[in-house]
Amino acid sequence: MRRFLFVGFVLMALSRSASADAVVEGRVELPKSHSAPVMNKRYEIVTKGGVLSTNPPIAVVYLEGSFPKPGALPTRQVAQKDLMFVPGLLPVQAGTKVEFPNLDHDTYHNIFSYSPAKRFDLGRYRPDEKPVPSQLFDVPGLVTLRCDVHEHMRGLILVLDTPHFVLTDPEGRFRLSGLPAGHYLLKAWVDSRTTREHPVDLKNGATLQVDFP
Amino acid sequence: MKTLRVVLGCLFVAALSAAAQADDFLDQVDEALTFSAFQDNVRARFSGLLDLEEYHFQQPAPGLIRTTSDNLFNPRLTLFLDAQLGPNVFFFLQSRVDRGFDPSDKGAQVRLDEYAMRVTPWEDGRFTFQAGKFSSVVGNWVARHLSWENPFINAPLPYENVTPLEDIVAPSYYGSLTGQLRDPKYQYLPVIWGPVYATGVSVAGRIGQFDYAAEVKNAALSSRPESWDATRIGFDHPTLSTRIGFRPSEMWNFGISASDGAYFRPEAQATLPVGRDIGDYHQRVLGQDISFAWHHVQVWAECYEARFEVPLIGDADTFVYYVEAKYKFTPQLFGAVRWNQQFFADVPNGYGGNMPWGHDLWRTDIAAGYRFTAHTQLKIQYSLEHEKNGPRDLGHTFAAQFTVRF
Repeated sequence: MRRFLFVGFVLMALSRSASADAVVEGRVELPKSHSAPVMNKRYEIVTKGGVLSTNPPIAVVYLEGSFPKPGALPTRQVAQKDLMFVPGLLPVQAGTKVEFPNLDHDTYHNIFSYSPAKRFDLGRYRPDEKPVPSQLFDVPGLVTLRCDVHEHMRGLILVLDTPHFVLTDPEGRFRLSGLPAGHYLLKAWVDSRTTREHPVDLKNGATLQVDFP
Repeated sequence: MKTLRVVLGCLFVAALSAAAQADDFLDQVDEALTFSAFQDNVRARFSGLLDLEEYHFQQPAPGLIRTTSDNLFNPRLTLFLDAQLGPNVFFFLQSRVDRGFDPSDKGAQVRLDEYAMRVTPWEDGRFTFQAGKFSSVVGNWVARHLSWENPFINAPLPYENVTPLEDIVAPSYYGSLTGQLRDPKYQYLPVIWGPVYATGVSVAGRIGQFDYAAEVKNAALSSRPESWDATRIGFDHPTLSTRIGFRPSEMWNFGISASDGAYFRPEAQATLPVGRDIGDYHQRVLGQDISFAWHHVQVWAECYEARFEVPLIGDADTFVYYVEAKYKFTPQLFGAVRWNQQFFADVPNGYGGNMPWGHDLWRTDIAAGYRFTAHTQLKIQYSLEHEKNGPRDLGHTFAAQFTVRF
């Protein structure tokens, strides 16, 4: 009986140490908002209205370190809606499959990327294309998405080698929870040229405040 | 000249090797050249294309190329301004620095090729109105005539193969249409002169699976670039063109086009029969186009029946068509093939008989392109042309084109 109690105690202790309950929160200073793109309609006989929604800059905050390899990862989506990528920035863990559904009625899209982290070209596909065109993103890095039909469309997939990441809100605020205790590097990806970093010492149950000026 | 080519060649190789590094820079340039005001209600974007083209062929030069040499280096810088004023008004402008609208060995010139304002009152695109100097609504080639979108370096046969008909001089005797083309070839007219950036107004829209477009321009489809500007050729003899399209799905697009307008320039008036006016001689065109796209395959085809009303001779008819296909082998490598053919009908030869008023011909184009980045592209092309009883019995053309898009 004592042996069972001891094993139970060890398992509880292990599960407690393995449980990830550290939290980091703070704010990332974001760059100025970009101008909304202008759609090139020069040689389209039929054109619709010219409203393109703006996408304010947001950042991705992630914890860099050595983490166990993931099992099956959920499939994510980057849709094409109103001739824009939605979301405009998608962080995923390496090994994630991303689908690219075309939600624009009566319009072809042709999503492609020449980024070193992932080169692909989905060809032209319709809104009702089945199966939904998809790609596996297994190499960490930044993937720039473009459309061969609509020159102004631009989207980003940030492939990360960590399961711990979060998007900031438009004001730059973030909260990254469920983190394992230990010493890590916290990074804030702001744009393709700017990644800020901050070493952090995480403790179970504690909330750490980190701002990226 | 040789030194210049070596220097340009070195620059080209350097540009090629730097292309990958330059991609991020060109994305930054793109962002820097986009401006907005009034909470994004007014937005403008400058963009451009830098094309470096090299041609090698046998004389006479093919299509609308103007040179007496067998080799031609043709650089071209194209600048665009696209502006959106609120949701309903779109303005665009295209300016070029090159050696002529068509490849030539002339000196550098700067032109304003396109400028137009488009009003779209309804968001669903049922009606748009456009005014300015802009490309024709006829056919389906115009949408891909710029170097980045065109799988080839040249244009399909209807848009660049000249017929024996001139626009500044009317035929002076019955047999004058049936002879060989004299130099310079540039004085002759094709069925459609490239994208025909003539001046005028257009209306267009989509209703369900159908779309429509109609335009009134100052010059005919066959008119040369010098005729497209309203300050040079007015609206005394306007050309009406229209296209009706049917799109059963995103995959297919069918269209029927028609155009009617006077094709002689005012200089030809003195050479016309007494009592006749340049407005008495029309170019009438009927066209059909089809396009198909699915995944990595794109196919386009167009055919045109053109009739020129010619003094002393009557109706000179020609039929021209092409079929073009593009396939992306990899995300960056594509290949394209095109078959073009043109036939000329008989006209009186002046001796009581009839003979074709031009030389029937066929041309096959094969091209390959590689996009190094989203901003740089290299295309190479080979064309074989056979002109029945003509000077280009078997003409070979090699061409290469490097494009930077920003």
